[in-house]
Amino acid sequence: MLHKFDNTSTEFTSIRKEWMALLARAPNTLLNDIVGPHIESMQLKWLRRPETGLMMIQARVGGSGERFNLGEVTVTRCALRLGEVSDTSPVGVSYVLGRDHRQAQLAAVADALLQDSEHHGELEVKLLEPVRQFLKQKQTIRQARAQTTKVDFFTVAREASSGEDGDVS
Amino acid sequence: MKSQELQNVIPGFTHEAFGSQAVFRTSLNALSYPGRPLEMPLDCALPRQGQGAAAALLLGLLDSDTTLWMSPSFRDGDAGPWLRFHTGCKVLEDIRAAQFIWVAYGDSMPQMSSLMLGSDTYPDQSATCIIETQGFETSVEDLVLEGPGIEGKCALKVLGLPDVFIDQWTNNHGIFPRGVDVFLTDATHIVGLPRSTQISRKVKV
Repeated sequence: MLHKFDNTSTEFTSIRKEWMALLARAPNTLLNDIVGPHIESMQLKWLRRPETGLMMIQARVGGSGERFNLGEVTVTRCALRLGEVSDTSPVGVSYVLGRDHRQAQLAAVADALLQDSEHHGELEVKLLEPVRQFLKQKQTIRQARAQTTKVDFFTVAREASSGEDGDVS
Repeated sequence: MKSQELQNVIPGFTHEAFGSQAVFRTSLNALSYPGRPLEMPLDCALPRQGQGAAAALLLGLLDSDTTLWMSPSFRDGDAGPWLRFHTGCKVLEDIRAAQFIWVAYGDSMPQMSSLMLGSDTYPDQSATCIIETQGFETSVEDLVLEGPGIEGKCALKVLGLPDVFIDQWTNNHGIFPRGVDVFLTDATHIVGLPRSTQISRKVKV
């Protein structure tokens, strides 16, 4: 997958969706460590200052069936531009859960930097890959915890049915 | 929003709350004193197309529940994406369904009677038209305005007002309480014309 990133910036747009999703779920400390130093050295121009609001989350039971409104979540979003206004200066956008303005800013800066071929490779290794690992680990832990509650219904059903058989005969 | 459009978006109000409140106050004053040119506070970055006063007015008035139609000069420009990004408004192709109409200077004015006019029960459900002009003079008696908010009569000369405007306005005023409200703009000023205002041309003797 890495070879994709070595090409021109237009190639990035196809997977921007993926890295924005990763940035939105990235742990705050990691974002701060990797992106924090860039903020000090870069010139930022706000298009939309961080603002916190509500968003309706929709869900489906079991991934099928009708969509329904699950509830509202707090979301902070912002948009900014790195450097001066021109067609080449990247625009970073972020939407993160919660009300941490700093996290939204870091995620937006990371989004902008990832569109810049100069920084993309470095951030891919230092930021995106650790986030992927982090989320994978979180998923594994969650699955393992869920696994302990698993019940083998097959055994229960067989015992019940044999009991019924006995009643009938 | 496409990423190419996003790439060209510029900032909105320097301070969102104060900026939009100042714009709203100015637009209220403009409709309260029809025919009086008022300076629009331009506390925001402005798109390349369109006049500053008109752009700031729309940035202050629009929100995600409103719909906007823009005249052909604005197509493919940066004004539409800019308003959509900052206000969340919908840009429509169909002028008959739009709540706000923005007509660039030089573009032909749409037929006012074809816009949303509201109903007798809900006269508020009508369109607001923003028409760009070349400027205003209040010392020259070209148009004579009468109606609520004007003591007696007031004079106004609008440079670059479309010729068809006065006839259309007479019809618009005639169907009161229905009808559209209009803001005329130049680069820095706006003039409010609520539907209750009667406009006649000064007859040259």
